[in-house]
Amino acid sequence: MTTRLEIDPVTRIEGHGKVTVELDDDHNVVDAKLHVVEFRGYEKFIQGHPFWEAPILMQRICGICFVSHHLAGAKALDEIVGVGPASGVYLTPTALKMRRLGHYAQMLQSHVTAYFYLVLPEMLFGIDAPPEQRNFLGLIEADPELIKRVVMLRKWGQEILVAVFGKRMHGISSIPGGVNKSLTATDVNRFLHGAEGLPSVDRVIEDAQLGLELFYDFHAKHRSRVDSFANVPALNMSLVDDDGNVDYYDGRIKIVDDDKNVVREFDYRDYLDHLSEGVEKWSYMKFPFITDLGRDAGSVRVGPLARMNVTHTLSTPLAQQALEKFHAYTGGRANNMTLHTNWARTIEIIHAAEVVRDLLSDPDVQKDDLVVTPSADAWTGDGVGVVEAPRGTLLHHYRADRDGSVTFANLIVATTQNNEVLNRTIRSVAEDYLGGQTEITEGMMNAIEVGIRAYDPCLSCATHALGQMPLIVTVVDAGGRVLSERVR
Amino acid sequence: MLEFFDDPRSLIYGIGNCGRQDDGLGWAFIDRLEARQCASRPNLCRTYQLNLEDADLIRGFARVLFVDATKDPAVSSFALTRPEPRLDFSFTSHAISVPSILATAQQCFGYVPEAYLLAIRGYEWELQTGLTEPAEHNLSDALEFLSSYR
Repeated sequence: MTTRLEIDPVTRIEGHGKVTVELDDDHNVVDAKLHVVEFRGYEKFIQGHPFWEAPILMQRICGICFVSHHLAGAKALDEIVGVGPASGVYLTPTALKMRRLGHYAQMLQSHVTAYFYLVLPEMLFGIDAPPEQRNFLGLIEADPELIKRVVMLRKWGQEILVAVFGKRMHGISSIPGGVNKSLTATDVNRFLHGAEGLPSVDRVIEDAQLGLELFYDFHAKHRSRVDSFANVPALNMSLVDDDGNVDYYDGRIKIVDDDKNVVREFDYRDYLDHLSEGVEKWSYMKFPFITDLGRDAGSVRVGPLARMNVTHTLSTPLAQQALEKFHAYTGGRANNMTLHTNWARTIEIIHAAEVVRDLLSDPDVQKDDLVVTPSADAWTGDGVGVVEAPRGTLLHHYRADRDGSVTFANLIVATTQNNEVLNRTIRSVAEDYLGGQTEITEGMMNAIEVGIRAYDPCLSCATHALGQMPLIVTVVDAGGRVLSERVR
Repeated sequence: MLEFFDDPRSLIYGIGNCGRQDDGLGWAFIDRLEARQCASRPNLCRTYQLNLEDADLIRGFARVLFVDATKDPAVSSFALTRPEPRLDFSFTSHAISVPSILATAQQCFGYVPEAYLLAIRGYEWELQTGLTEPAEHNLSDALEFLSSYR
């Protein structure tokens, strides 16, 4: 007889998912799965709406990475109206740089949330620490000065989002063929030099390095545990520029293997020629894979760890310095250590802060050439937009009829891309922490959540959910009998 | 009571989502104040949910009135309370409680404004704009109470 353990829902992630772990009579792990049980709706919901509403509505999938959804949608809209390679009409430098500015500010803010608010408590207090301590609020009690700096870091990113998008959440900047505003000199001065209650960019870059320093400390103390925690294989996927280095806003899709050999590189507009999606009856979240390689060999990892595995260099000095150390650690091979995702995330925090500084210093973000208007016959009615969202590669694909109504929408979000590797991670952690144990402790269950949180998954995005996120932990046996239940 | 907040050192902070029916009560409260111009000097703000940065925001004010919808059946129409700073471990990246925001302000910035929480009873939370009729009624009751209470 098998025993089935459930973590339902998994906490400190975005959205509602549950984990089941099946143990046999000898307490060996038979199977482990992440189930995503939210309702999926946005791809249908958007159909029939005017095409220009798509990036405005679709960003409401998420309260965290709405900028990424907005920009992926905006890129798709550019192509629908005929801006892009098909027509040879491209965005103005101001529009492109304003979009990038918003994108990197969100990258900074989102990664700071994931790393400092959700991951750091476990790093500092331990996986086995009481839940009331291994919590961000535990950190506030333990080190208010650190948290004050983190709050100001996030606030700085947030204020840039307000300047670019008009409000803290779900603002609008991008329109078909451009953006609706640029920055004022006052805006730029505030962010570069600071203002009352707002740090300068130099202070932000200094504080952005806090995360990396904390990771180095943590890693030095717990090297073996960190490195062996869910060391799971997967291909690595990212958008890259012409030199094969990560580009968070545009480029081609590149996929590399463990030896960093290029397995596939293609124009993201051709994604349907390369990628398929598997389905399972136990989850609403699909399982994308490279079609001709099959699901087992062709599943990819996306997000910070994948990007640092794919890229050769980063374009800013402090981030590049950190990347060299990251690459050296695995001797040039891809890094499959799940908890090193947090290392990669801290490098991206620094990189995002540096890129934002460079963009703020660029006169183009204060110019007025905001939009290009293609000719009426440039309309294509079909557009694909891809960006590297904080959690990984995000794709929006829309089609619209000649009246401008959306007839088709397809979203492949980062968490969906990571579905297979997430399940591999859960199985690995379950085998290491639960296998052979006669008593399952809260700390063991939390180890599984730690593995999941490394990906910072957004299950609301992955299922394009409309719904609430209950917080309940249930343990049941194979017969469905509830052994224990807790509400968090 | 609203006179008490009619001061530039005051913040009235509406919390909620007006695309989710009665979850928009906090914003509707701000809308009404703006329309009636009955509180012209305080800072009026709206947010979807509280975030830790709000600990930094509130430290700039002498007093803060948080206004939010509640599902609590014990609240028949509205409830005005004085929340105390308390880390209640409610934090997710999507939301944090008022007591936790106050506690964060206290721990990180060494200052907590005089804080009030107005919870207005709501009933429906589906994807739709506009308040339900009973929620509108509760909103009016709350505004009337705060306007007349001295």
